[in-house]
Amino acid sequence: MLNVLAERSWGNVRPSQVHRAEATRRTFRLQLSKHRDVQRIHSSGINSLDIDPIDYKFMLSGGADGVIAIYDLECIPEVKEFTCETVCTIGRSNRHVHKHSVETVQWYPRDTGMFTSSSMDTTLKVWDTNALKPAERFVLGKGIYSHHMSPVANKHCLIAVGTIDPHATLCDLKSGSSTHILKGHKASVVCVQWSSKDEFLLATGSRDNKILMWDIRQAKGSLMSLDQHNGEVVKGSSAVSTAHSGHVNGLCFTENGLHLVSCGTDNRVRLWDTLNGKNTLINYGKVSNNMRKCIEICTSSGVQPDVAFIPSGSDIDMFDVFSGETDSTMKGHYNNVNCCVFHPLYQEVYSGGNDSNILIWEPDMGHIHFEEPPPKKLAGASKVKKFNGNEINATADTWSSSDEGD
Amino acid sequence: MKRAFMPSLFKNKRPRTVNILAAESAERQQLTDGAVSGDEDLSDLPSDTKAALTYLRSLFDVHRFEGRIPPILLKHQLYSVIQNKTQVDREVDQLRDKKEIKIFRYGKDGDEFCIVFTADYISHVRKIATQQGVSALIDRFIPEILEKMNNITFSRQTLCDVHGFKDKEITMLVIAGMLTVRDVGSWWLSIPGAGIFMKNFSKGRQSVLRAIKKAKYREILQKELEERKLQAVKKLSMMYHIHDVIGAELVTKIKTTSGIILRLDE
Repeated sequence: MLNVLAERSWGNVRPSQVHRAEATRRTFRLQLSKHRDVQRIHSSGINSLDIDPIDYKFMLSGGADGVIAIYDLECIPEVKEFTCETVCTIGRSNRHVHKHSVETVQWYPRDTGMFTSSSMDTTLKVWDTNALKPAERFVLGKGIYSHHMSPVANKHCLIAVGTIDPHATLCDLKSGSSTHILKGHKASVVCVQWSSKDEFLLATGSRDNKILMWDIRQAKGSLMSLDQHNGEVVKGSSAVSTAHSGHVNGLCFTENGLHLVSCGTDNRVRLWDTLNGKNTLINYGKVSNNMRKCIEICTSSGVQPDVAFIPSGSDIDMFDVFSGETDSTMKGHYNNVNCCVFHPLYQEVYSGGNDSNILIWEPDMGHIHFEEPPPKKLAGASKVKKFNGNEINATADTWSSSDEGD
Repeated sequence: MKRAFMPSLFKNKRPRTVNILAAESAERQQLTDGAVSGDEDLSDLPSDTKAALTYLRSLFDVHRFEGRIPPILLKHQLYSVIQNKTQVDREVDQLRDKKEIKIFRYGKDGDEFCIVFTADYISHVRKIATQQGVSALIDRFIPEILEKMNNITFSRQTLCDVHGFKDKEITMLVIAGMLTVRDVGSWWLSIPGAGIFMKNFSKGRQSVLRAIKKAKYREILQKELEERKLQAVKKLSMMYHIHDVIGAELVTKIKTTSGIILRLDE
């Protein structure tokens, strides 16, 4: 490591290379954190997590009890044992809390003054973080499975929403309208995801086993439907091509926006080329998945080779995105894992599941923490306990010293 | 801390001191090794997948079936031999394009694949043809269809118009077992006599899974499983079935200090 830093200062190696190599080394050593955890607020499953994309300091969590909590992830100066405390919560006693489970939460991509949450009570609420009150409320017809706002949008402020209805809705923050709908699916839209590089490209996955790609500027419908067989006719001549052989549960674009990772209830994970919609035919093996709602999967950023974290049952599988090999299986949750997010600065993964725990997975670099000696107490205070006026010396031998008598 | 991926930047690349004598001798060493110099033609070496296929084929004993079927292997057995599944998929597609192997579909929805070496398949087809008396037809069928084309689905257009097979001849091929009806006017290429294989294979697989299910904690040492004499496993060998259940991910393979343990998945 010191050798590499010396080479960097001489100019043999570019600083970005060092950054990427160290981030990769850390990502491949993820272990359940031994010294840090997150304060337990939710009393039921955690459906969604999101880390703010500006400072990566605050984390939002939405639970099946309708509660939303914000945690502060930073710990300065660094101490050995640390619990990420909540900064504020929107609990059951709040006037504006969601009536049913919160399915997705997301920070406003530009600053932490605003966040959005969607719930099975058919509302999408846009919250003011400082006042903890909703600034806007969109009421859609049926329960919402998931929503997503584009992280790179400059020309629009649209939130894509997937509901039990077979169309995706676009809610506009600027005008307050939720009338723009995207028709194409035949069953409920379970997951929606904007591209990480193109502000107008949207991918939606649904219970009719299809993934549709949309350019929202285009009026006539979806750009393409992703086909797992890439055009080869498999079954009968009349079979419709689908992305998965089961419901599509989770979607995530890679950091450069060129590929899309999707997972479905047919226990398969597929990698799609965004530009032409072809299945790259990378075989990830069997990733068991029987979730009825959206699973939040995540891909690493700043790491080469790219890795994807996909919850499967009560573990999280870490895959090398382009070769399909399983790098490791992260076991730690007691029940199904619903969501995971990757922290790009610390190369950590935060995951939440039905066991109401948010677990932190951090790189185990083999560092040894040195115990800080406890601060010296003042001369007046004594450490011995006072009991009935007699001083008890804790280290004294309490057996009687002689054979006869007390 | 287990051994994890180390980016190449952190590995020691070159020697710290430039020693001219050492460098020269290192160069000479590399040439005599013959390792990865630009002139060598590496495409002649068998790929990992081909070596794995040859190994799996050696597990299949044709004599136990009295020569009624050629050596049939399953694509997912390769996943238990070679770790990287995507590499296996790609190399299998390459071998299919080079016409060294033929891939067939089986299973309820036709989504599982089985592999037969082209040479084995053609010799088997000829043998069946002489038995059934359609050898002339088969002799025409083989060079036109089997050796030229790679796909396994045929439509009426391809057979009748392009290659000139009559309806009666197609019926004879279906009776002989060469073609299986898929849809109105389209057929799948199939292996004659494959019924025996499917019966023995599914019985053997069920028997292996039952043996693991009944074991304590639903796991068993691979060595112990090999020693068990199961009736249904006699035809296709035990190792064949073990590769099958590992590759189909019905069972996970765990390396322990007492050997390899096979644990039934959930």
